[in-house]
Amino acid sequence: MLNRILLLICLTVAWPAYADIAVIVHPSNAAAIDIDELNRLYTGRSSALTAVNLAEGMPIRSEFDEKGAGRASAQLKAYWSKLVFTGKGTPPAEISSEAAMLEHVAANADAIGYVDAANVNGSVKVVMTLE
Amino acid sequence: MIKFICATVVASVISATAFADVTINGFASINAGATTDSNDRLYGYDNNIELKNESLFAIQLQSDLGDKLSVTGQLLGRGADDFDVDFEWAFLSYELNDQTRISAGRLRTPFFKYSDFLDVGYAYDWIRPPQSVYGLGFANIEGVSVYRTGQLGDLDSSLQFVLGNYDSETEFSGTEIEAQIDSIVGATWELSSGALSGRVAYLVGETSFATAPVQLAPGVTLGGLFGTLEQFGLSALVSDLAIQEDDSSFLGFGLTYDSADWIIVSEFTNIKVDNSFIAEQDSYYLSVGRRFGSLTPYVSYEKDDNAAQTDAYAGYQSTLPAQLFAPVKALVDSQEADNDTWNVGFRYDFHPSAAFKAQFTDQDNQLTGDRRSLISVGIDLVF
Repeated sequence: MLNRILLLICLTVAWPAYADIAVIVHPSNAAAIDIDELNRLYTGRSSALTAVNLAEGMPIRSEFDEKGAGRASAQLKAYWSKLVFTGKGTPPAEISSEAAMLEHVAANADAIGYVDAANVNGSVKVVMTLE
Repeated sequence: MIKFICATVVASVISATAFADVTINGFASINAGATTDSNDRLYGYDNNIELKNESLFAIQLQSDLGDKLSVTGQLLGRGADDFDVDFEWAFLSYELNDQTRISAGRLRTPFFKYSDFLDVGYAYDWIRPPQSVYGLGFANIEGVSVYRTGQLGDLDSSLQFVLGNYDSETEFSGTEIEAQIDSIVGATWELSSGALSGRVAYLVGETSFATAPVQLAPGVTLGGLFGTLEQFGLSALVSDLAIQEDDSSFLGFGLTYDSADWIIVSEFTNIKVDNSFIAEQDSYYLSVGRRFGSLTPYVSYEKDDNAAQTDAYAGYQSTLPAQLFAPVKALVDSQEADNDTWNVGFRYDFHPSAAFKAQFTDQDNQLTGDRRSLISVGIDLVF
């Protein structure tokens, strides 16, 4: 019985707790962004800001694909392949670490990106938190 | 294959030296299929498992030349052509502004919803787009296109105008013939809101097919028949049959519901070539797919309904000698078609850049009662 309880506790603790994702922009950026606009920015239907992604395979990327861009990763990739192979669009540039993402957004006035909400620092402005 | 390697080498040299900003993307499909009965043929497959027929490899180069000018080339080798590599597209694009792009060169003809990425199997769930609608040919034209995106209230709008011509071979009743479509003018408009999108396309042109070598019966060519009719002073009939600078039109409608869970697609097309023996063609399909994580099963129904232009010969029944009337009637009537096709299949995203697909197709010819089935499997990649 004790074993079972321990197992239950372990499972609960080890369960991949979905991280909150902070959508970040340059501190000087005063634009109000709602989820529809975020979808648009990350599917190439709006170019009001320059969206950047974390690299494919990073833990919060697939979560962001679903919550921020509005589609499962594979679906999103199929969507982009339609635009890429017609010369109608290029997917957001990819950045290989959250630290580099923070630096990039802090350095570019028109950039929009995202990091784990726990890793946000004062160099960027959080416009939305995806739970 | 050598050509393919050369192209790749050229591509990499270009990217390394001449231009700073060249994007290289590629895609490939490896498909295998076989019909279930030894006498059946469908979509180029017979009863023996065949890997070449629908397989293809492609690389696309896009180079930003600066000042909003870019050049795009897509080199594609099809298994059906022994992987001989050709420029499927090659065009220059100029971004007039954020919403408007002008492209010139060899472009994809925007007949269908999936026209632009017909060859990119990864972009859709089927092994092949429904052939009752997509089996038209004339996929590329040389011309100019204006593409404009924008928002109308809550709707995303994309509007495309195209001008150009087609001048290449096409297969007609098993014979490769010269085909030309001149003065193509067309427009497509797609509106979308969330998961729902609608599309309309209308294109017109002047069609000419060099059908003279087409065999009607052993030893009888279409050219021979037309020659004989001319000798009988029936040039009016010949011009009602021959495909010679004939006004042609293409009308297409599409409706799509593409949510996180469901993918429902439907298209309807109508094709006419006036004053010719070509049948008026009505085709449509409806496909319903459901996404379960990385697995997407679907079922689709296609209809291909071609109505023979019997008006072309109706007035000649009493006046024409039987030995001339019979082949004329046979020619026109042979264009009649009525096929029902069902497909069931699935897509499985087993890798971030690759999908496995399997599809079973069953086609029922309502005119002859013939029924044929095809099993195909394949892998689609993007890189």
